[in-house]
Amino acid sequence: MNDLAIIETILRDRQRFFTEIREGIGLREKTRAMLVSGIVFFMLYGAVMGSTHSLLQALSSAVKLPVLFLATLVICSPTLYFFNVLFGSNQSLTQNFCLILTAITVTAVLLLSFAPIVLFFLLTTNHYQFFKLLNVAIFAITGSIGVTFLSQGMRVVSAGGREGARARRNVMRFWVVIYAFAGSQMAWTLRPFIGAPSMGFEMFRQLGGNFYANIFASIGEILGFFTVM
Amino acid sequence: MSQTRPDAPSRVDQILDLLLDALLERQRARGERLLQPPEAPAESTATEPFIVEPPLPEPEPEPVVVEETEVAEEDESQQLQDLPPSPLLVPPGQMGRTLFRLAVGLLLFVVLVNVPITRHGVSLARVMPDSAALVIRNGLLLKSESSDEIYVLQDDRLRWISSLEAFERLGYRWQDVHVVEESFLDRFERGRPVHVLLKCKGSPHIYRIEREQKRWIKDIPTFEAEGHVWEDVRFVSCQYLRNLPDGPPIPEDAGPPPQP
Repeated sequence: MNDLAIIETILRDRQRFFTEIREGIGLREKTRAMLVSGIVFFMLYGAVMGSTHSLLQALSSAVKLPVLFLATLVICSPTLYFFNVLFGSNQSLTQNFCLILTAITVTAVLLLSFAPIVLFFLLTTNHYQFFKLLNVAIFAITGSIGVTFLSQGMRVVSAGGREGARARRNVMRFWVVIYAFAGSQMAWTLRPFIGAPSMGFEMFRQLGGNFYANIFASIGEILGFFTVM
Repeated sequence: MSQTRPDAPSRVDQILDLLLDALLERQRARGERLLQPPEAPAESTATEPFIVEPPLPEPEPEPVVVEETEVAEEDESQQLQDLPPSPLLVPPGQMGRTLFRLAVGLLLFVVLVNVPITRHGVSLARVMPDSAALVIRNGLLLKSESSDEIYVLQDDRLRWISSLEAFERLGYRWQDVHVVEESFLDRFERGRPVHVLLKCKGSPHIYRIEREQKRWIKDIPTFEAEGHVWEDVRFVSCQYLRNLPDGPPIPEDAGPPPQP
């Protein structure tokens, strides 16, 4: 439970939290606490999502959702680090990792806060496409807030190095776009997280199509362009 | 004989003075307690109006003391700036506990909604009427769990694809076939089956492929009566046709099928 206390620091006193990351204070402890709390929250949210289909899907999604975010973190953090260094940042890779992990932890705790709502809709709606879009919207909202946290953290942590500050802001914007694309592609690769009700349990679904086409198809169905049974 | 002096306070006044002294002493003690809260040094200014003290002589102004006061005030203002803008309604550390309780509660709910509650083993999370994940469109390929028959949806009707030959020649792919429950297929009307018609150049006969067997079509009226069109006929080698096992002819009383 001590690891969960770090959430309070991030949400209530983020300035001090980012300053400590800039000073390199307790990076290891912070990283561990954020990893533990983030993984637990993602697992719970994944289990809620997968419960629409089956117990196996719930377990599978509980494992896959933390993997999705952590794998995206591992894939994307070197880009941010090296581009920042290129434009005058004096942060270490660990500091960068810790900052991105802050964004992911914020996303995780917000997802957890949405979990009761998702659970409510899970029990009261029978519309798969609606449920899928609801989750996409929740991920978009929480992910955006997480990235906003990261952006604020970057400003605080790299406040010392004035040189190339504007370029680093642009790098940050560029990186957010890459992060979103990489994350959505990773999610598409690791799907299903919810599980189509008319299909059996699958750990992974065969590749084909893409995330955006699928979302557009779902929106088309919601708006009545397609008929979904 | 004792005489009371006219300027001496009366007994009542003495008692009142004693009471007033006791009251002031008590108020001073209470004020000191308010001045020393355990975790809120900044509240000293806020509590001043509640302190009732007898007027004290102004202290002699000493430069050193003034400097210390100024430094203390600066420190205090700095501390106030460092404090959060509004007082916390929840004591520090409470959020960790709240999150922990929320997480445990959710975990219990997730377990609860996954426990089978019906005699068919359906859990609460899936007790709502089933809903499909498929976007219904022309060309959607469906197959039931209990049968090998594959259907293609066209104009809201399911058309049975009568052979693998037809499936492959029409360009369908196995990864596009959606396996669904039989009850899902029952929601659609059945349309005309999708057949592939084969013919070889060295033979006048036309065969319809069904369940990997070739069925000889007796004549052109039968061909047209079955709803076939010439565009459906594909040419293959006669040897290929001969290798296919014979099925019942069309119509079934047409007699023994000729070999191509």
